[in-house]
Amino acid sequence: MTKREATRRAFLVRAAVGAGAVAGAGLVPDVHAQNREPRKEAAAPVPAQPHTNGVEHGAFLNYDDAATIVAFTERLMPGAPDKPGARDAGVVRYIDLALAGAYADLQDFYRRGLAQLDAFCRKTYREPFSQLDAARQDAVITALEEGTAIGFTWPTAQEFFNTIRTHTMEGMFADPIYGGNKEFAGWRLVGFPGAQAIFTPTDMQSRQAFTRASMIGLQAQGPTRKA
Amino acid sequence: MATEKTDVVIVGVGAAGGILAAELGKAGMKVIGLERGTRLTTADFSALDELRYFQRQDLRPNAKRQPVTWRPNASVRANPLAILNYGNQAGGGTVHYGAISWRFHEDDFRARSQTMERYGARAIPEDSSLVDWPVTYADLEPFYDRAEYELGVSGKAGNLQGRKIDGGNMFEAPRRREYPLPPLLADQSGVLFEAGARKLGYHPFSSPRAILSHPYQGRPGCSYCGFCQAFGCHIGAKSSILVTKLPEADATGNFKLVTGAMCYRVNSDNSGRATGVSYYGPDGSDNTIEAELVILAPFIYDNTRLLLLSKAEKFPNGLANSSGQVGKHLMTHIGARVFAAFDDRFVNIYMGPNAQKHSLDDFNADNFDHGGLAFIRGAQISVTPADLEAGPIGAAIGMNPPPGIPRWGAAYRDFLAKYFARHAAIIAQTENLPYADQTIDLDPDMRDQWGLPAPRLTYDWRRPNEVARVEFMLRKLEELGRAMGATKVWRAPLGPGAPGSHHEGGTRMGSDPKTSVVNRYGQSWDVPNLFMIGSSTFPSMSGFNPTLTIQALAYMSADAIVKRYKSNPGPLI
Repeated sequence: MTKREATRRAFLVRAAVGAGAVAGAGLVPDVHAQNREPRKEAAAPVPAQPHTNGVEHGAFLNYDDAATIVAFTERLMPGAPDKPGARDAGVVRYIDLALAGAYADLQDFYRRGLAQLDAFCRKTYREPFSQLDAARQDAVITALEEGTAIGFTWPTAQEFFNTIRTHTMEGMFADPIYGGNKEFAGWRLVGFPGAQAIFTPTDMQSRQAFTRASMIGLQAQGPTRKA
Repeated sequence: MATEKTDVVIVGVGAAGGILAAELGKAGMKVIGLERGTRLTTADFSALDELRYFQRQDLRPNAKRQPVTWRPNASVRANPLAILNYGNQAGGGTVHYGAISWRFHEDDFRARSQTMERYGARAIPEDSSLVDWPVTYADLEPFYDRAEYELGVSGKAGNLQGRKIDGGNMFEAPRRREYPLPPLLADQSGVLFEAGARKLGYHPFSSPRAILSHPYQGRPGCSYCGFCQAFGCHIGAKSSILVTKLPEADATGNFKLVTGAMCYRVNSDNSGRATGVSYYGPDGSDNTIEAELVILAPFIYDNTRLLLLSKAEKFPNGLANSSGQVGKHLMTHIGARVFAAFDDRFVNIYMGPNAQKHSLDDFNADNFDHGGLAFIRGAQISVTPADLEAGPIGAAIGMNPPPGIPRWGAAYRDFLAKYFARHAAIIAQTENLPYADQTIDLDPDMRDQWGLPAPRLTYDWRRPNEVARVEFMLRKLEELGRAMGATKVWRAPLGPGAPGSHHEGGTRMGSDPKTSVVNRYGQSWDVPNLFMIGSSTFPSMSGFNPTLTIQALAYMSADAIVKRYKSNPGPLI
């Protein structure tokens, strides 16, 4: 191997290792709030940064971008009585933490996607996405999904829609340790019991919804079981 | 820069490499195994975490650092695949796999002859490179048996020495004895599939899986947690190489595993022998192992890539490539899928091992008459969760809603809320034929984290034979869904022709050095002290998952190396 090749390879290794930075799970102040009955000490978490919009963000997203993500994801998975939505689940918090950590390589994707979305909304309706009424927000999302929204280069409108949709589902249904699925909102919506380590033959034979055990998340798990 | 000497070096310690490490070590050969990932333990898998393991693919190669590119044909530029369906640690893909463990049918090893005998030569598409294997089912049967008993496979025999047994797979090839463990319990999707298939006159059964239904060899039986395919098993009930053959290899005292080691070249001398391998260590160091015997057992891309990267004066077209066949005949399974939703009951498909749960084999291989059909060969049909993984992320990403319901908004939310725990998917895993122009080569435009050219796949499954088969199977799946009592049955989209899972080919085995890369033992025709073991050697692919056949071939090759090659190194044929 020549010296130049060696240098290039070393660079590639370093760059790749950097790109794989660990998710910022430790930044979550209220990880303990994931159990159905939140623990007392977690009842009033101290926010990492002061917020004025009631939206938990700050690891990556700025105020306006967080407001856009909150509004956009809520239209994708809208909440209703007894039907928790993206806002209830804290999807913006999931996305914010993911972009600061595991998905750091998507920061530019989001920045540019959000800027293109903002330009499209202002051009079409003279207002940013979060200020539009629900019908207009849905029309904008449809235009992204179908690829008819003008002004998108990279990411394309469809790429941006598909990525936000995927991340919305992750934020709804991933374990609460990642910042979304707050108080198991997503799992309650669809009836998923979470990280159950065992299902019994009786569970397997049931035609009914599973209710034998309460939902369980990663934080509630004990020390590693012995194989 | 370090240089080590050993008897045997094995590149990739997964489904095949782990078996070879243990068996050659037991025979007294000094073995070094190179593994580019790490070595995890059962204790590492305590997090039942869908995001980490399924969605973010924690046990697979990182698609950005270790890119594999794909293009549908040679006239367009290749782009990196978003998801890589193979392993990236000691144990390889067996750590995260669904553990489906089939023996191939007798006619899977002679698909060309079978087709010609029953339908005439014209039934085989002109451009297909379909050939018989240089090995028969009868040759492999003893090694299938060893794999099932040594690793621990649960299932029910359907053909015991020729006696057909309903409840097992009646289409399977004859086996000498029962499975070592009874079948795993059926979940409710299996119960529904069983009843629906029976109603239609088919022959359903619990899929054979390398998952313990009862305690075996000091490991516990399955807890049916459902975090299975895509996950490491948190109790060690999945018979992965990590908990079966690696401890055996360790116990021989002759095996050394080197992790974080990326092999980038097989070295050879002017006599035409392989002299060993070179690899990059985790610290970026450049290291060499000198070995009497070199065994390549990584995922299939890296077999082709390593041979093409190992050009030498004597091997100008790549090592072991005098036939010009290296990189050709790439095959992958396509999963044609329908979804079924039930209004009158829950299915709770997240319970129990989550890959192909309950199966039927009536439409696989040549188990049915293809006369009058526009295709040959078949598909293995199973009931499974939406994305072969049963959590809500998998369902939300992998299950398109039925026609008339959008992918987002209140109607979508209500669809998912109602049917997540009431859905099943039915999948047909198709046996796509080999074609010489479906290839693996080196991407000229993309490099990986080590600076090596990325493997590039040129592949589009949408050939007339394959498209006709998929349409036939989708109708069968819809019929099954309705027979299961589903309120709604609808199709998954088929996608852009991209490769699916279980890749095969690239270093095909054969009987003729002019038209194949290796012989039946995986031994290179050109370089007798170089072996390749794994699905890269498959001449055709079968509708069945490949792993147990990879493992049977590994046992057969280990047997030949220990009994014949060790005392008399040279061509085994």
